[in-house]
Amino acid sequence: MTAAVRADLTAAHEASLRHVASPGARLTAEQRVRIADVAIAAYLDPEPSPPWVRPYGDPALDLAYRLGRHAGTITATWHEQLIVEGLHPLEWVEVVGVVVAAVAPVAFARAVGNPLPVVPAAMAGEPTGREAAELAPATLNWVPVAAPADRTASVVQALSALPDEVDNMWRLAEAQYMGNAAMSDPRWNRGTLSRPQMELVAGRLSFLRECFF
Amino acid sequence: MLSWSSNEEGSPADVATIATGDGNAGLPHWAALVAFAQAIAGWDDQALAEARARLVGEAGDAFMVDAAAVAANFEMMTRVADGTGARHSPATAEQRGEIGRRLGVDGFTSAR
Repeated sequence: MTAAVRADLTAAHEASLRHVASPGARLTAEQRVRIADVAIAAYLDPEPSPPWVRPYGDPALDLAYRLGRHAGTITATWHEQLIVEGLHPLEWVEVVGVVVAAVAPVAFARAVGNPLPVVPAAMAGEPTGREAAELAPATLNWVPVAAPADRTASVVQALSALPDEVDNMWRLAEAQYMGNAAMSDPRWNRGTLSRPQMELVAGRLSFLRECFF
Repeated sequence: MLSWSSNEEGSPADVATIATGDGNAGLPHWAALVAFAQAIAGWDDQALAEARARLVGEAGDAFMVDAAAVAANFEMMTRVADGTGARHSPATAEQRGEIGRRLGVDGFTSAR
């Protein structure tokens, strides 16, 4: 039996997967779909490779794999290694954006027991080149961010170099959790979980993913 | 966020439940919610089905769906944080210091 899902949540997940299959700022749609498929496979892998193994020998795909399954093990040293190998810092940001855009709808479907969604076929078109008007190095993240850096929380500015990835992240967050404006209201809820119940789920899952944040 | 929101609601929750998975978070359905979050974080589909059914039995379908949505959001946000080397500002780190030490998260690889 399929669980009934809010229309806004279904729409956000479908939009996120279409976003994955669209040309990105620097990557083609074909590259993005491949990255998403690798991340989803890693997320669902019953016998995953250890974190230090690079199954693909390709910086973008190895990042997708590790972020899909072993995100809490990624280090600054490994980040620097992949950049030295030729992965552009903004390509790194785009891979992160694609992985989270793909994993979230799959994680949700698995959690509620519904059929797992499939990433659509890659759409035609060239990379858009759409990047923040001005970039700046950050002290709160490894990655470049939209200038001025470090004026907002690190998770908020994390993808800000690529506006389309930021927009998709917030579209998902608003449907899955809450919009930015509701964050400061401890009593905000959807009529189901209270805010503390939401934070209990968020905190326990984040702890088990070994995310200190 | 759990500490802050539950204090503001007037029924402080035991934040240690985030780390231990047991104790008493002091919230309705806390044990079923924790079991569901743990099952989502794990890879045992049978355990996930059982945890899902328990939560639906206690709180209903819509409640389970929204709990799953929150979990999916943090499958996203943990990867955003871990994938971009996110760290706290010095001011935030100082505010969170005691809770971070209490939960043991400062020892995670992701703590930078």
